[in-house]
Amino acid sequence: MEPQASPLWTTRTTLDRKTGTWRDAIPDYRTLPSPCLGACPVNGHIADWIGHIRKQEYHAAWLVLMDNNPFPAIAGRICHHPCETACNRQYLDESISICALERFVGDMALAKDWSLPSSDLVKKEKVAVVGAGPAGLSAAYQLRRRGLQVTLFESQNQLGGLMRYGIPAYRLEKRVLDGEIQRILDLGVIVEHRPITTQQQLEQLQNSFDAIYLATGAARSKTLPVLDYAKPWVIDSVEFLATTNANKSHPTGQHLIVIGGGSAAMDVARTARRLGKSVTVLTLEPAGHLPAQHTEVEEALEEGIRFVSGAMLQQVNEQTDGLELTCIEVEFTAGYRKGEFTIKPKSGTAFTLKANAIVPSIGQDANYAIWGESFKAQGPILKTGSDWQTEKKGIFAGGDLASMERFVTHAVGMGKQAAAAIAHYLEGQSPTSDEKTVAAVSIDTINTYYYPQQDRIDQQKLPSRQRLQNFDEVQQPLQEVQADAEAIRCFSCGTCIYCDNCYAYCPDMAITKLEKGYAIKSDYCKGCGLCVAECPTGSIVMQKEYEEITQ
Amino acid sequence: MECIDYQDVDIFHSGHVACAGCVEALSLRVILNIVGQDAVAVVPPSCTAVICGIYPNSALSIPAFHTSLESAAATASGVKRALLAKGKPDTTVLCLAGDGGTYDIGLQSLSSAAERNEDILYICFDNEGYMNTGGQKSSSTPEGAATGSTPLGKTTRKKNLVDIMAAHRVPYITTTSPGHILDMKAKVKKALQIKGTKIIIVLIPCLAGWGVADDAGIKAARMAVDSGIFPLYEVEDGERYTVNQLARTQSVKPYLALQKRYRHISEEQVEQLQIHTDKAWQQLLLRADQQQ
Ligand SMILES: Cc1cc2nc3c(=O)[nH]c(=O)nc-3n(C[C@H](O)[C@H](O)[C@H](O)COP(=O)(O)OP(=O)(O)OC[C@H]3O[C@@H](n4cnc5c(N)ncnc54)[C@H](O)[C@@H]3O)c2cc1C
Ligand SMILES: Cc1ncc(C[n+]2csc(CCOP(=O)(O)OP(=O)(O)O)c2C)c(N)n1
Ligand code: SF4
Ligand code: SF4
Ligand code: SF4
Ligand SMILES: [Mg+2]
Repeated sequence: MEPQASPLWTTRTTLDRKTGTWRDAIPDYRTLPSPCLGACPVNGHIADWIGHIRKQEYHAAWLVLMDNNPFPAIAGRICHHPCETACNRQYLDESISICALERFVGDMALAKDWSLPSSDLVKKEKVAVVGAGPAGLSAAYQLRRRGLQVTLFESQNQLGGLMRYGIPAYRLEKRVLDGEIQRILDLGVIVEHRPITTQQQLEQLQNSFDAIYLATGAARSKTLPVLDYAKPWVIDSVEFLATTNANKSHPTGQHLIVIGGGSAAMDVARTARRLGKSVTVLTLEPAGHLPAQHTEVEEALEEGIRFVSGAMLQQVNEQTDGLELTCIEVEFTAGYRKGEFTIKPKSGTAFTLKANAIVPSIGQDANYAIWGESFKAQGPILKTGSDWQTEKKGIFAGGDLASMERFVTHAVGMGKQAAAAIAHYLEGQSPTSDEKTVAAVSIDTINTYYYPQQDRIDQQKLPSRQRLQNFDEVQQPLQEVQADAEAIRCFSCGTCIYCDNCYAYCPDMAITKLEKGYAIKSDYCKGCGLCVAECPTGSIVMQKEYEEITQ
Repeated sequence: MECIDYQDVDIFHSGHVACAGCVEALSLRVILNIVGQDAVAVVPPSCTAVICGIYPNSALSIPAFHTSLESAAATASGVKRALLAKGKPDTTVLCLAGDGGTYDIGLQSLSSAAERNEDILYICFDNEGYMNTGGQKSSSTPEGAATGSTPLGKTTRKKNLVDIMAAHRVPYITTTSPGHILDMKAKVKKALQIKGTKIIIVLIPCLAGWGVADDAGIKAARMAVDSGIFPLYEVEDGERYTVNQLARTQSVKPYLALQKRYRHISEEQVEQLQIHTDKAWQQLLLRADQQQ
């Protein structure tokens, strides 16, 4: 037979050839934790809710926020926002204004009167929560949402704890506090205004409830040995703030010395300024190293508060025209653990200050001795296990009472964790072992080419002169256009935004678009990793398919 | 961030044999999908020829004519005339050639096709060397770059093909890159609206030939543009220059550092390259300015 000439035309496509056999790794779509999530005390899904803002889906953003924290309008005002310190965007220009965005959403929810879906009482168990500060309210909220019956016991006649009696109105309007607390009560949380202050009262609760959550805070002011607290010119800081927060006047002289460099001290000082006093803040820590938030110190300075930093009070002399404080400069060394330090006075550096009254504001201790001997201490706080259960079965604790993380959102986060632990306990399950922690998305996996440099948008502040006239909020909210513009800056670390980059940059057409999401065609993916490199959110990773052979 | 808004129309198929991560395959994908079904490709020997198919398989679902290295533009001229004779004036004839087949071996046929203003769309995948044959230098290889035939680095500068072809007064010649898909899409669309000889030079960082990681082809292309080494611009009718990028945003150094082919070069050579780049950029801006 004559040999046949091969036809001129190709007869089939390259789809015959499974070039996927070339690869040793395949892309894998993953939702990964963003660094902000890991740093957030309530583990809020920040990338998610900012994504909703970007699409102007504000209600959806609010629902995501509310999952972990019933107080977005509050947290958006006074959270110390460690999320922003962790934010990946800082490596390009500046971190995202996460806190201000949270406030934007929280305020909109209040303005539009958004309410939560009601949750039925699907469980027969009853839980008592003692103390209605952020920890107790957060626990009550999460427990009630799980269908449990919750009763809150609160000694004060209004709820909120230090959010009401500590934090002044110029940082957190009472209207906002009331609104976000009311929403929790509307879910059907029962409130009893009575204190649980004795062992007997606690035992009564144990008899009528299946579990108890203690969140009474830390209200006992620490004392300075050099001060005689019986003198009328020594003023308790908690009481000072509580009375002004309740719109009552407090008798003090004109010249105040506030001792301490934390948030509470700043609040005392700035409140006193608004009452027309002249104020000096005395801190052990040197300037620039105060434990208060940077903005608080900055705003205090703007408001005309004088700082004497890196010095210690040694003695107070009562004189006819007031008090004379003898102080000395100190060398301050921060300790290994939070709140620990050592100081060394510098000889020959003594100086004096004049004042009419002194407000020591150096922190507070928890008081759990009231409930009897059987609770154990862990340093200055109540001892709990990793599931927030105390030594007594069925009694859990959190917030300032059981932690040195003295922040509102930490209290909220602890309340959330305890609620989960209590639910497990009531179902007879052992506490869930810590989930395998996945590393947060690092900046190296974000392709920043897709994000042009753009300045961070911050909240505006009232001018300092105007601030001293009243207790109006200092920080002014973001406008909607500002919030939208700020949301665009977010890298959405670890959360896919369905931008199609991975699909479009594949040289092998090995990615299929699905209705929501994408799939890799393993027949054709050569494992080049371009899709991963061009992902602007770090939501794909290359997964090795074969073990490397090592000899 | 700006979304890419791109959807395949099934003209270029998976299973082709381009290296993993090849941005020439990616560029082909984008260009073919915009050109559409009513087209004939003319392909001289090059990486593209390998990608388009190894007989009897084809990665393209449009007809592709594999021609000789010297004659892409001449073949395309003939194909176009044949189509006209057959009453198919609207069919796009598309050359898919390498830089060796354009700057060097096919230059005479391109020059005469341009002079005749043949109605073809000529795409040059400029990977700055003879790459499918193992990486030898071409007249497009830039100064300093090492290739198989210039192991110590090329001593002469990259030929400026845009100027050469602009001197032919072709209606449209432009540069683009796979790191700029929106730009590439827009330019292919624009070229399809123009009658006569259209030339698009696509910078293709060759992973093996340049010594770039499998996932870094796009990054390299963007750095070439951002440093001004490979500016994005168009020339219409040989005289109207438009620069398509706002500014240069980085020096040439990080771009060179990304590639193994520049691994051996000295600080002085880097400086020399920077000076040449600055000067060429200024000249380009001047030309773009002068016409206004
Ligand atoms: C002045 C000041 C300013 C602060 N500013 C900030 C800030 O800007 N940002 C921030 O994150 N954190 C701030 N903090 C810290 C923060 O307020 C606390 O860490 C947080 O409120 C602790 O929450 P909690 O629920 O544990 O306790 P608390 O808020 O103290 O709430 C405890 C509640 O329990 C009630 N209670 C106490 N004992 C009993 C009892 N025996 N029976 C029944 N009820 C009882 C109390 O009345 C109170 O309502 C500030 C603290 C102070 C003092
Ligand atoms: C006249 C002629 N000389 C040499 C060759 C061998 N050859 C085939 S492809 C090629 C390199 C082409 O380089 P380029 O056009 O840049 O394409 P690339 O491989 O880089 O894509 C050469 C030299 C040939 N086919 N014809
Ligand atoms: S860029 Fe967005 S998702 Fe990433 S850390 Fe910052 S706020 Fe979180
Ligand atoms: S770009 Fe395509 S071929 Fe490369 S790893 Fe991703 S899916 Fe696979
Ligand atoms: S490239 Fe875009 S679509 Fe693909 S995973 Fe990343 S964010 Fe999602
Ligand atoms: Mg070439």
